[in-house]
Parts: sequence; structure tokens; C-alpha cells
Amino acid sequence: MSHQLKGLEKEAGGGVRGRARSGHPHPGDRSGRRPSTKRTSKAKGSRVQHGVQPSQKERPGGSPRPGSPRRKPMDRPARRSRPEGLRRLERSSVEERTCQGRRKRDGRTSFKEQRAHPKKEKEVVGKELKKPRSSSLVSSTSSDESLSEEELARILEQVEEKKKLIATMRNKPWPMAKKLTELREAQAFVENYEGALGKGKGKRLYAYRMQMAKKWVKFKRDFDNFKTQCIPWEMKIKDIESHFGSSVASYFIFLRWMYGVNLVLFGLIFGLVIIPEVLMGVPYGSIPRKTVPRAEEAKAMDFSVLWDFEGYIKYSALFYGYYNNQRTIGWLRYRLPMAYFMVGVSVFGYSLMIVIRSMASNTQGSTGEGENDNFTFSFKMFTSWDYLIGNSETADNKYASITTSFKESIVDEQESNKEENVHLTRFLRVLANFLIICCLCGSGYLIYFVVKRSQEFSKMQNVSWYERNEVEIVMSLLGMFCPPLFETIAALENYHPRIGLKWQLGRIFALFLGNLYTFLLALMDDVHLKLANEETIKNITHWTLFNYYNSSGWNDSVPRPPLHPADVPRGSCWETAVGIEFMRLTVSDMLVTYITILVGDFLRACFVRFMNHCWCWDLEAGFPSYAEFDISGNVLGLIFNQGMIWMGSFYAPGLLGINVLRLLTSMYFQCWAVMSSNVPHERVFKASRSNNFYMGLLLLVLFLSLLPVAYTIMSLPPSFDCGPFSGKNRMYDVLQETIENDFPTFLGKIFAFLANPGLIIPAILLMFLAIYYLNSVSKGLSRANAQLRKKIQALREIEKSHKSVKCRASNSENRSKHQNDTQLQLTKEEPMPLSASQCQTLDKKTGNTATSSSARKIPQPASRHLTGSQPLGVKPDAGQSQPQTHPFRSATGKSIQRTPR
Amino acid sequence: MGTRSSHVAVIPDVDDIRRDTGFSQASLLRLYHRFRALDRNKKGYLSRMDLQQIGALAVNPLGDRIIDSFFPHGSQCVDFPGFVRVLAHFRPIENEDPGTRDPKQPEPLNSRMNKLRFAFQLYDLDGDGKISRQEMLQVLRLMVGVQVTEEQLESITDRTVQEADEDGDGAVSFLEFTKSLEKMNIEQKMSIRILK
Repeated sequence: MSHQLKGLEKEAGGGVRGRARSGHPHPGDRSGRRPSTKRTSKAKGSRVQHGVQPSQKERPGGSPRPGSPRRKPMDRPARRSRPEGLRRLERSSVEERTCQGRRKRDGRTSFKEQRAHPKKEKEVVGKELKKPRSSSLVSSTSSDESLSEEELARILEQVEEKKKLIATMRNKPWPMAKKLTELREAQAFVENYEGALGKGKGKRLYAYRMQMAKKWVKFKRDFDNFKTQCIPWEMKIKDIESHFGSSVASYFIFLRWMYGVNLVLFGLIFGLVIIPEVLMGVPYGSIPRKTVPRAEEAKAMDFSVLWDFEGYIKYSALFYGYYNNQRTIGWLRYRLPMAYFMVGVSVFGYSLMIVIRSMASNTQGSTGEGENDNFTFSFKMFTSWDYLIGNSETADNKYASITTSFKESIVDEQESNKEENVHLTRFLRVLANFLIICCLCGSGYLIYFVVKRSQEFSKMQNVSWYERNEVEIVMSLLGMFCPPLFETIAALENYHPRIGLKWQLGRIFALFLGNLYTFLLALMDDVHLKLANEETIKNITHWTLFNYYNSSGWNDSVPRPPLHPADVPRGSCWETAVGIEFMRLTVSDMLVTYITILVGDFLRACFVRFMNHCWCWDLEAGFPSYAEFDISGNVLGLIFNQGMIWMGSFYAPGLLGINVLRLLTSMYFQCWAVMSSNVPHERVFKASRSNNFYMGLLLLVLFLSLLPVAYTIMSLPPSFDCGPFSGKNRMYDVLQETIENDFPTFLGKIFAFLANPGLIIPAILLMFLAIYYLNSVSKGLSRANAQLRKKIQALREIEKSHKSVKCRASNSENRSKHQNDTQLQLTKEEPMPLSASQCQTLDKKTGNTATSSSARKIPQPASRHLTGSQPLGVKPDAGQSQPQTHPFRSATGKSIQRTPR
Repeated sequence: MGTRSSHVAVIPDVDDIRRDTGFSQASLLRLYHRFRALDRNKKGYLSRMDLQQIGALAVNPLGDRIIDSFFPHGSQCVDFPGFVRVLAHFRPIENEDPGTRDPKQPEPLNSRMNKLRFAFQLYDLDGDGKISRQEMLQVLRLMVGVQVTEEQLESITDRTVQEADEDGDGAVSFLEFTKSLEKMNIEQKMSIRILK
């Protein structure tokens, strides 16, 4: 088994695992040492095998009485290895003799080995009762089965004695050190044997419990590793983080989070609406709303039609209009309209809850940390390299991540140390904000103007292509040119890039709101138009059916077959139209994003990379160069896309499925694009630990997208011939209907009572008061927190400056003394070859500190070192010159001690 | 494993080594095998060349420093006790140790202080007990490679020194080193579980 050991022990296990944790910024975390467990247990097994037979003679003189506390506690560490020990017992009996002989020859056994013996013996006795034991010493503690009454009593007595000893320790006239050791041993003994004294197989149980505890620890470690592996895309994100810094990684983390949320929403809608409808609803073609109209039938399967979500897709469960207004469907009597409504509401409810919850947990996390600001660089410098890395790819990643983290720290540092003209900065910032507000106002007016014009155009006949698409063109032009313009203006402000990113995000957000607003406006106009036409269509439908059934020319004896559903005239179903609109928007948005990445990043990178050889200037350093990852644009794209999803999912339940696909592909695609064709930002900066800003924007968008949906639900009448709410006056009537028909009457009364404004208004007031109170409390706490932190920092600064002044003063006068010390040490050097140089340097320093300030001494038990090193033949004067050196002196002390033994 | 070589008795001075380092017999045996495997021409000691051939050390920017730590005071060879003693720094700390240890004995090699000292030596290139600015720069260059400009490297070093330095001599002494890593879980980070 020893051959398994690869490399220096240091690198063992580093290969595979190190790779797995590639790029992790914190080296050597707990999970790190896992692969070694197997070896450890093996090692233990073989150790047990060798040290089987103890003998009383070998016991050090330390234990005066038989069964004294001296040796009992030592059983403890060894106990854990019992299972292996037991297994090997059969074999060991042969070896025992040889071992014993050897041990006697050796005469002195190490301390550790001696510890192992008594327990070993116990095991043996416990296992094989008949085997005669030469040493009677431990017989009192042998296994339970063999325990006679008297032995049990004796142990009990001992335990009692120990307890008494613990209680009276204070009064004993012993030196402190002895008291301490005695106390610990007694405690360990009691702890050990109280468990063992339990009834029946208490001791077995104890061993079993120990074994289980060990297994449990191992299992927990494995499970932690497993959990890390289960986090989706963790490796990819860590990889990106190590190359591009935490700010870029924060986008991908956000994307992952969004994916999770969408998955839940998708499950909700898919499981509670689409699947029941497909399984239990009336099949396609049975009623008009589930059939493609006669006029569209010819083209309903063409790709160009399907691509626009018309044709068969329009009349499928993906859209609102497909659902029937039957109260219950199938043999389960599933209330589909009710479910549809409730799911629509809970999509928003869940989203709100999850966004707010993650915001809250982010803030909680961020207040607790941030205390290690003092030694950022020292930590990075001294502990960033993970010495378990044995794989060159991992090592490369680690290089990158160290470099990145250093760069991030540098940027932070530069920002905090920046000193400049405050007035100038203030002026520039005001100016920049003014300019940007002008831009925003201008673009807002432009959008308004264009939308107005488009409304006029829509009334006119034969408008040109440009006039028809004017709004879209203007919007995308704005979206293309405004962000870079903002960025240019933001350069005036000279913010820290992290704060700069927030500002940039906020500004582009304001710009995009215009986009959203025009879109919604156009949509609303459309809806109102359709609603206005609905009444006439309703009449037409009635008349058609009426005429069909009452028309003459049909044999009255045979009942007329019902009109084919495809032939029934029907309304425009504005809900489905809205859903299709959102669907198209999502898909086109996705395509545009992907094409932009492909052309703007990948092709550009290819061009720069391969044409660089034959170009007149340096493409890589000069004009096109490689693209940087656009964090703000991507985050906002994601957020607005999510807004579309929230708005559209009520009218197009299938939208969430599309979105889940989109997020999934974009995760892989963007990861690939970033790693293959982007370069890190010039100023890599550390993302704030909580991406609460993203969350805040998301919350805003969620709120904004909640408004139109709530408006349509509450105040627009649903279409008369499509969707689950057809025939009702308002969509929420389905609630009332359910309460009246399916709940007992008193519940209906309670609901009516709860809806009373006299109850709602006080409740809202109360909530506001609670919010105000909690808010002020948390503000006060955080202020106190900040003050305390400041105080600590100030204290440290003072201490530091104090010390350095003192030190400089004493430095000069000490120089001569120094040299003396060094001389002394040099004479001392011979007896301790290993660490002579350490000693020397230490002594030098001691001279420094000893005279400078006594306050800085590490509170180390000085006496211990003195006693440890003095009888060892070190020159007494050397020992006295630094009576209380440093703890690491012991290393040298040890090497000396070896010789006299 | 062979019948003879699997026994601890083949290791010279095994008991002394065990007392020194606290390794178990099994670990010692494994280390001994490893030692002999590294020792290519069976000369009974390891030279620098022997250690440099370990592939995993080659990717480590501080690999040379680690190898150096095996050879105190410029000697060119390390025997088995020396080899084990260096590795003993990485033995995990056992919880039971402080209670049962004889207070008269020196601190074991795997104590927190000794672990820190080992780490300190990696940075202290000239062995004068202080990590000077130059030494830090040198190590840093090894660690981050060429991707960072010299200027930035210097600012990093300056900041590190400024953070850790308490007596104002422009270098980090061991004491200051200890102080700055006070909150770091060294006992755990510098332990290798297999070295029980």
C-alpha cells in the first residue's frame, strides 16, 4: 500500500481533486483533504497490528497506582481504531510474540505507542475471553461480557473516585500543571467509562458509536463534495471567475439563479395548467376555439406561418385562447379556469417572494463579513497558492485567479487612496448627470413622437416599409448608441468601476423603460381596438349560427349536423394576440442576442486573431481588438427579458418553456463565447458580494410587469369565445364563482367580510407602520455596526504608529546589543545543526522586541519553555538573554533534546 | 508488499524518528518507501535532483522554495530523518494532544507555530528571519507570472508590507507574519490527512 503514495506526501491526492476545485479562490478548504481517508484507515490498521502486546513493565513511572487515571484516558484515541483492530486479531496472535520480543529489545517505546497498548489488550480480552492474559492490570476494564459484578463495581467505584477528584481538585496542594493534567485525565476517564458502564453491551455500543461517528464525519465530507459537484455550472463559473474576475462571474451567477426561478415557474404552469388541459380537456378540433379556422387551414402548417406563431401553434395549449371555459374537466373534475387564474397569480407571487427573500438574505450575509479588511494583501500574498495542486491545468487556472484577485484588490486600493479636487469631481459629476438626463429626456421625447406618428400611420393606407417599422428602428438605434454615449459621459464622473457599473445600469434601465413603455402602449391600443370590434363579431356569430340552424332547404326529419367548428365565425381573441406578441418578442430577442455574440464577439475575435499577421497595424492592441464582456448590457437584457416573460406568461403559458430553453442555451453559449473570444476588462474589479443591485432592478421590472397584467385582469372584459374565462364579465369572476358554488356559505361570508374596505385600510396602515419601525431599527443597527468597525480600525492604526515610532527609537540603541547576541548564538550553533540559523535570526529579533515593548509579547507560557530547554545543555546565559522567546523556539529545543536521551 | 521490506524494523532509528515526529508506524513505513522510491540510485539520501523530478512540484511556483526547505543551511543531501521531519510539519493536529502531552516535552513539529514557521521560511529567501520587500517581490513574481506590470507588483508588495509591518522596518518579521495570519485556519490548511 505504501506504493500508492505519490509525489511527496504533500501532493498526494492533489491531482484529481485539485483539478476539480480549479480556480477556487480560497485554497485548501475543508473538503480538500478527502482522498486521504482511505489510507489513513489502512495505516491505522497496520499500526494496530504491530503494537499488540503491552506489558506492564514498559509503563512509565508516571502512574503510581494501579488503575490510576494516568493511563485510562489514553485509551481514547486508540479506541477509534478498534474495528480494524478486531479484524486483525486472528493474525496478530502470532505476531504478538515477535512484537513483544522486539519491544523488549528496544527497551524504550515511544509515548504514543505506549498509549495504544492498554486498549489493544482490552480489545483482545473482549474478543477472546478464554485467552489467558498475563497482565492483570487492565482486567478491571475488560469487556462487558466478562465483567463480573465485582469488576463492575470496581469501575463504578473508580468513576466515582474520579468524579470526587474533579470536585476537590481545587483543594489539592499540587502544582498547577499537575492539577491540570490530573483534571483532564480524570475527566477523560469519566467520559470514557460512564458510557461503557451502561447496561448489557454498553461497551460494544460505545465502540459502535465511535465507529459510526467516524463514518458520519466521512460521509458528511463526501456529501459536501457531492453537493458542490451538484451545483450546476459551478465549474464553468469558477473557471470564468478565475479569468475574468468576479464581476463577470456575477452575471453568470445571476443567470443561473434566474434559470432556477424560471424552472420553478415552468413546473408550476406546465404541471397545473398545460398537462391537465392536454390530458383531460376536450381534444383539438372539437370546438371552434380549438380549431384552425377554415380561412387559415391551407397555410396553417407552413413554416413561415408557424415561425410567426400562427396556424397550428396559435390554436394549441401554448396560448390562452385554446382553453375552454368548462368549469371542470375530466374524471378528476379538475377546475381548470380556477387553476389557470390561481397559477397566473402565483407566478407573480412566487417571483416576488423569491426576489425579496434572496435580497434579504444577501443583505444579511453582507453585514456579517468584511472584518478581514486589515490583511487583504497579506492573506493573498501568503496563502493564495494551493499547495495541493498537482495538475498543470489547474495550476494555470490558479495562476489566473491569483492574478485576477490581485488586480481586483489593486483597483479597490487605488480607489480608496485616490485624492483629488473634491469640488472638481463634484462639478463633473453634476455635469455628467445633467448631460445624461438631457439624453434620456431627448430619447423619451423621440419615442413619444415616433409612437404618435405611428398611430397616425396605422390609420393610413399603403404606408411604406420605413413608416411601418419606424418605431422599431428608432428604438434599436437608441439602444445601440445610447449606452456607449452614457459610458463616455460616465468617464467624467471618475467613479470606482463597481459604482460606475451601477450608475450605468441604472441609466440604461431608464432608457429601456421607454422601450417597454412604447411596446405596452402599442399593445394596449391594439387590445382596445379589438375589444371595440368584439361586439359586432359577437352579433355576427350569433346570426350565423341562428341562420344555419333555421335556414330552409333542409330536411326537417333528420336533425341538422352541427356546424363544423372551423366554419364558425369567431372573435379576434385579444389575449392570444398579446401572448403571440410576447412570444415573438422573446424569440427575436434571443436570436438577436446570439447573433450579436456570434458576429460581434466571435467573428471579431477570429478576424483580429488571424488577420493580425497581414495587416498594416496591430489589430490586437489597436482599433478592433477583442471585445470585453458587456456586463451591464447582458444583465439588463436578462432582466428585461424576464419582464417580458412575467407579462406574457398569463396569456401564453408556453412562454416559460421557451424561456427555460433560452436561458439554458444562453448559459452554455455565453460561457463558451466569453472564454473563447472575450478579454478581461482593463480594470478588473471585484463585484460586490451581494448582487442586490441586480435584484433591485429585477424587483422593479417585476413590479412594472405586474401592473399591465393586473390592469387587464381587473378591468378588461375577456373575449367572449376563447380562453378559460370566456362568458364572464371579468376574469376574476372565476374566484367568486368558485367561492359561491364550491365552498360552504359561511366561508363566502368570511371572504366578503375580509374584502371590506374598513378592514383592508387599517391592515395596510398597520403594515406601513411595521415597515417604518423595522426600517428605522435596522438603520440604527447598521450605523452602530459601521461605527464599531471604524473604531477597531482606528485602534489598530494608533497601535501601529505607536509601535513603529518606539521601534525606530530603540532600533538604533539596540544595534550594538544585537551584535553581541548574534555572537552568543554563533557559539551555540554547533549542538543544534538543524535550526541554528533560525535560532540566530530569532535571537536577533528578540533583542529587538524584548527591549522595544513588552506589550507585544505573545502570551505564551514562558515557564514551559524555560523548563523545557534549560536542562538540555544550552548555555545558561543564552537561555537567559531571551528568557521568553517565541513559541517556535520549541522547534530548536526539540532538536537539542534529542541528543541527551 | 514484500515480506521483509514491509516491516518497520528496516528503517534505521525508527523509534527516535517516531518520537520526534509523532508519525505512526504505518505512515513512517509509507514515507520510507516513498523515500526509497525517490532515491534513484540507492545512495541512502536525497539530492535536489531527486526532488526536482517530482512532476507535481514542477507546476508549483514555489516548488523550488519547497525543495529548498528540505535542505537546511545549503547542504546538498537529506537523509530519511530529515525528510520525515520536514513532512512532519504537515501532520494534522490531533485534538487529544494537548491533554495528554507531557508539558516538559517541546512543542511537536506540527504545532501551529511550527506550521507557520515553515510557511514563513518559504518566503524568507535569505533566511534572515525577515521577509523583506525584495523577497516578497520575488515570490510574487513567481506567483502571478508576467500578467501584472512591475509597477502593480510593487504596489502590491508595498501594501502587504504596510499591512503587516508593525515596527516600521519595512520588512515582515515572523511575529508580524503570525499576527497577520492570526485569523487564518493554519492548523487545518497546513495539514495533510494522510500523514496521520
